Amino acid sequence: MKKSLTLLLTLIFVASAALTGCGSNNTETQANGSDKGTETKTEEPKKAEPFELKLRHTQVGDAKKNRFAILEEVVKTTQGENEGLTIKLDGVESDINRKEKLRGEMAAGDIPDIFDVFGSPDAKLYAGQGKMLDLTPILDELGIKDKFTGLGPFTLDGKVYGLPIGASAEGVFYNKEYFTAKGFKVPTTWAEWEKLLADVKADGKTPLAGASKAAWVPLMVTNQLWSRTAGPEFAKGFATGDAKWTDPTMVKAFAKHKEWVDKGYFKKGELGFEYAELQTQFVSGEAAMMFDGTWQSSIFKAGGIGEKMIGKVGFFNVPAIDGGQGDQTAMMQDTNNGYGFSAKVAEDPRKLAAVKSFIKNLYTEDMQIRGLVEDGVLPAMLVDKAKIDANVTDPLMKEIATVLAGTTSSFPAFDALVQADVNTTLSIEIQKLIGGQTTPEKLAEAVQKVQDEANGQ
Amino acid sequence: MNKALRNPITYALFLLPALILFVMFFIYPTITAVYYSFTNWDGVSSTMKFIGFKNYTKALGDEAFWKSVLNNGYFIFFSCFIQVPLIILFSLLIANVKKLRGFYKTAVFMPSVMSTAVIGILWSFIYQPEIGLMNQVLGIFGIDPIYWLSEQKYAMWAILITNAWQWTGFYVVMVLAAILAIPKDLEEAASIDGATGVQRAFKITLPLIMPIVSVVIMLSIAGAMKAADIVLVMTKGGPAGSTDVMATYMIRYAITNFKYGFGNTIAVLIFIFTAIITLVYQLVLARRSERIEY
Repeated sequence: MKKSLTLLLTLIFVASAALTGCGSNNTETQANGSDKGTETKTEEPKKAEPFELKLRHTQVGDAKKNRFAILEEVVKTTQGENEGLTIKLDGVESDINRKEKLRGEMAAGDIPDIFDVFGSPDAKLYAGQGKMLDLTPILDELGIKDKFTGLGPFTLDGKVYGLPIGASAEGVFYNKEYFTAKGFKVPTTWAEWEKLLADVKADGKTPLAGASKAAWVPLMVTNQLWSRTAGPEFAKGFATGDAKWTDPTMVKAFAKHKEWVDKGYFKKGELGFEYAELQTQFVSGEAAMMFDGTWQSSIFKAGGIGEKMIGKVGFFNVPAIDGGQGDQTAMMQDTNNGYGFSAKVAEDPRKLAAVKSFIKNLYTEDMQIRGLVEDGVLPAMLVDKAKIDANVTDPLMKEIATVLAGTTSSFPAFDALVQADVNTTLSIEIQKLIGGQTTPEKLAEAVQKVQDEANGQ
Repeated sequence: MNKALRNPITYALFLLPALILFVMFFIYPTITAVYYSFTNWDGVSSTMKFIGFKNYTKALGDEAFWKSVLNNGYFIFFSCFIQVPLIILFSLLIANVKKLRGFYKTAVFMPSVMSTAVIGILWSFIYQPEIGLMNQVLGIFGIDPIYWLSEQKYAMWAILITNAWQWTGFYVVMVLAAILAIPKDLEEAASIDGATGVQRAFKITLPLIMPIVSVVIMLSIAGAMKAADIVLVMTKGGPAGSTDVMATYMIRYAITNFKYGFGNTIAVLIFIFTAIITLVYQLVLARRSERIEY
C-alpha cells in the first residue's frame, strides 16, 4: 500500500510539474511575443507588421540549382516590394511533394500559401474543392492571361488555378562523341532505331540508361512507344471509356518495351536505381543514350554533373514506327507543372497582394528566357522568337529547339489524362513487366480493370 | 493528506489532464479513423458517402494487401527467430569480454542512433550491384553479382538485413544490462560446481534474462508491424510492390490515389492485426516468463 501510494504521489508530482511547465512556457512566449509587438509599434509606428508566406518548391538537388537561384531572386524581389513580408522556402522532392506531401496537406487543410503543383489531375481536383485560389482576376489585372502557351491543365470551368513554370518535352539524349567514334547515326526510321540499339548492345555498351525504382521513369518510354503504336491521341480516351488499355496497339507498345528489356537494351538491374542514376549512367559513358525530359538539359551546363559533356550531347525524337497510328512525329510536351496558391490567401489582403507581386515577378518574358538559357526549361509563355535566338547559345538547347520545330503535334503525359489509381496500378504493372512477372497482355488487363472501376465512380 | 486522497473527486481531478490528452491524441483519432474507414472520402472534398464494409472487402480481397501483410510477417519472423538469438549471442559475448567492453557496446549501439534515412542510403551503397561492398565480398567466394534491390526475391532480404542491423545494437544494450545485473555469485557458484561456460550461459544467464528477452521480442513485433520508413527509403515498396508492408501499401493505394477512406480502413486493419498478434503473444509466451527476484 505504502509503495503504491508513493508511486501515485510521484506520478502526480511529475504530471503536474510537466503541465505547469507547459503552461508557464506558453504564457512566457505569448508575453514575449506581445511585448515585442508593442515595442516595435511604439518605436516605429509606420513599420508594417511582419507576415509570412510559405512557399513549397521542388527545386532541390544539383540538377535544379539554377532554377532555385531564379526562384530565390524572385522571392527576394517580392519581399522587397511587400513590406513586412517574409517568404519561407520549403523544398521537397517533386514526386514526394506531388504524391504524398501535398495530398496529405490538402486532406488536413494545412496548405502552403504558394506551392508547386501538377495541373492535371491534381490541381483540377483541388480547385474543384475550393482549395486553390482563382487566379483569373490577378491575370486580368496583370494583363498576362494571353501570354501563356497553354493553361489547359490548370483551368477548370473557365477559371485558372495555377500557372505553369515551364514546358517540357521528352526524347532521346545521345552521346555524340561515342556515336562519332563508332560511326553511328541518329536514326530516322524505326528499323534504323532498333538496329542502333542492337549495335550499341553488341558493342558492349548499355544502349539506354535505366533507373526504374520510380515507375514514371520507364513509363516515359512506354508512353512514347504507345503514342507511336496507338497514336498520340489514344490515351485521351481512357478516362472517358472510349479507349481501352487492352487494345492490340497498346499491347504492342508494352510488348516492345518488354522486348527491349529482354534484349538488354536498358541498364541491368534498373528496378533498383533511383532516377538520379539515369543521368549518372549517361554522363559516365556507361549508357550511350537516355530517354528523358528536356528539363535534364541543365545538367549539361557549367557546374552541372554533365559538365564534361558540354557540346557532346545530342537530342533526337523517336522515329516513326511501321504500321503506327496517328502523327508519327508527336512528342510528349506539356505545361503541367507550376505554381498554385492556397484559397486561404484571399482572406488576407496583404497576402493576396504578395501573391500578386510574386506572380508579376516570376511570370515575365525575361524570367522565361532566363529559365531557358540558364536552365534549359522550355518557355511556358509566349516569348519573342528573335529574343530566344539571340539568347540561346547552348548547342544542345538549339538542337532541342530544332527537334521540337520538326514535330507536327504533341501529346500530354498519360498521368495528366488518367485517374490517380490507374497511374498507381500501371506503375506497379510496368515494374512487374520489367521484372518478368507479368506479360504485356496481363498488364493491359490489370490496368483496364482499374480504369473501369475508376471510370465507374 | 490521506483524507484528501481518499476523496474520489481528487483522483478524478488529477487524472483529468492526462485523460484529456489521451482522448485528444489517441481515442479521438482512433474513432475518426474507424468512422472514415466506412466512407469513400477522397481526402479533399467536403462531402463523402457511407459505403459500409466496401473498403474492408476491397482490402481483404486484394492480393497486394495480403502480400504486404505477409511482408510484415517476414519482419516479425526475421526479428524473432534470427535477430533475437543474435542479440542474445552478442550480449553474452560482450558481457564476457574482459577488455574493451565499452568499445564493443558503443560499436554495436552506433547504428541505432543513426537516422533511418542515413542507414537506408548507406546500405543502398553496400547493396549497389557493381561496386557495392556486399557483392565485392560475395565475389571473393565466386558468387555472381546479386541485384539486391532490383530483384523481387532479394529485395525483402536486403531490407530485413538492414533493419536488423539498425536495431540489434539497441536491444543488445538492453539485454546486456540485464546480464550485468545478475549477481556474480550465481555464476561463481555454478563454476565451482564445475559448470562450463556454455552450461552457465544456458542454465544460469539465459533463464534469468528471459523477462528482458520477452520485452525485446514484444518491441520487435510492435516495430515490425509499423515498419515503413526503412522500406520507403530503400525500395519505396518496389520492385513492383514486392516489398510493400501494410503501412507503405496504405501510402501507395490511399494517399497517392486520393482514397482517404480506404487509407483509414488499412490503418484500422493494421491496428486490429497488431492487437491480435500482441494479445496472442501475451497469452502464449509472455505469461510464462516469471518475475525474478534475487
